[in-house]
Amino acid sequence: MQTDELERTLRPSLGDRITSVEAFPDTAGRVRFRREAALDVFRSVHALGFHHLSTVGGIDWVDHREVFYILWSDDTRQYVVLSTDVPASDAHVESATPVWPSANWHERETWELVDITFDHHPDLRHLLTPDGYAFHPLLRSFKLHEPEELEVKARHV
Amino acid sequence: MTTPASAPRLARSATQPESFRADGDLLMAGQPAVPFVEIEALRVKEFIPAAKEALTDLIAEQGQSKLIRPVFNWAGRNSLFPLHWGLACCAIEFAAAFGARWDAERFGVVPRSSPRQCDLMIVNGTVTWKVAHKLITLYEQMPEPKWVIAMGNCATGGGPFRTAYSVVPGVDKLVPVDVYIAGCPPRPEAMLDGILRLETLIRERKE
Repeated sequence: MQTDELERTLRPSLGDRITSVEAFPDTAGRVRFRREAALDVFRSVHALGFHHLSTVGGIDWVDHREVFYILWSDDTRQYVVLSTDVPASDAHVESATPVWPSANWHERETWELVDITFDHHPDLRHLLTPDGYAFHPLLRSFKLHEPEELEVKARHV
Repeated sequence: MTTPASAPRLARSATQPESFRADGDLLMAGQPAVPFVEIEALRVKEFIPAAKEALTDLIAEQGQSKLIRPVFNWAGRNSLFPLHWGLACCAIEFAAAFGARWDAERFGVVPRSSPRQCDLMIVNGTVTWKVAHKLITLYEQMPEPKWVIAMGNCATGGGPFRTAYSVVPGVDKLVPVDVYIAGCPPRPEAMLDGILRLETLIRERKE
């Protein structure tokens, strides 16, 4: 599946809920969508045969944050990338767990490391850091702490 | 043997063979040939409480004396059972130490899979704050007396990840550590050296 074919398939049903479909190395393309339409986009892309959710991640671009989903299709043996921008002050997006249950842990990791909340997530708990951990270590504003300082904070959360 | 099973085997009574009885000059009529030693035949259910009582009395009587303690220390240091778990790459060296080449079992060190059976915890790897609670739980599940070896730079002081967001800077923040082994990772010889130093510590243990 080529990038233009991907856009021709998705555009009629989704309209302006996807902002662009662009070429991306080693994939069928990168679909950028509005975060309000997340579940619609997930269902449409899942219907194309992209049944395997490989990764969910987040990027801190300082002025905003980006959530991306990497999907794999066993039929066409291709990846596709979905991505959306969320403002840093209001970083939340709909959870992908109704469509791909494997998004569960990926979204927990993204939530605790990049501070992006996933709405209607079934079990949004800490995955890699201890419960109540107060830091989001993959944000660019995070500075390396002295061990003692971190220890005090990690113990008293 | 022809001895009846019902008779206590060591008890000697007046019914001795004539040849035995005829030997002693000091033998008096009606006395047994040797001082009568009464040994009760105890069943297992009776023996264990009796032995426990005798041992408890002995320990209470001897207390911290020089008689009992070296025996316990000797037994303890020659049968150190470490917890069989691994946290990071030091666990590879930990496993190699129990292989054919280094064979840590010749020191009586046998890794056990349950903390209930262990008296030694070898922390072999990076300890994160996420796993810290599990480590403390495992340590508390081990019966006394127990010892801890911090193996490698990560367990000793955080190692190269000391300033990382998730790493405990030294496992001695969580549990008391007896022996620190340097290295990243330490070779199996270093681990065996650490165990032998711990045995030296146990040998001098007073309480």
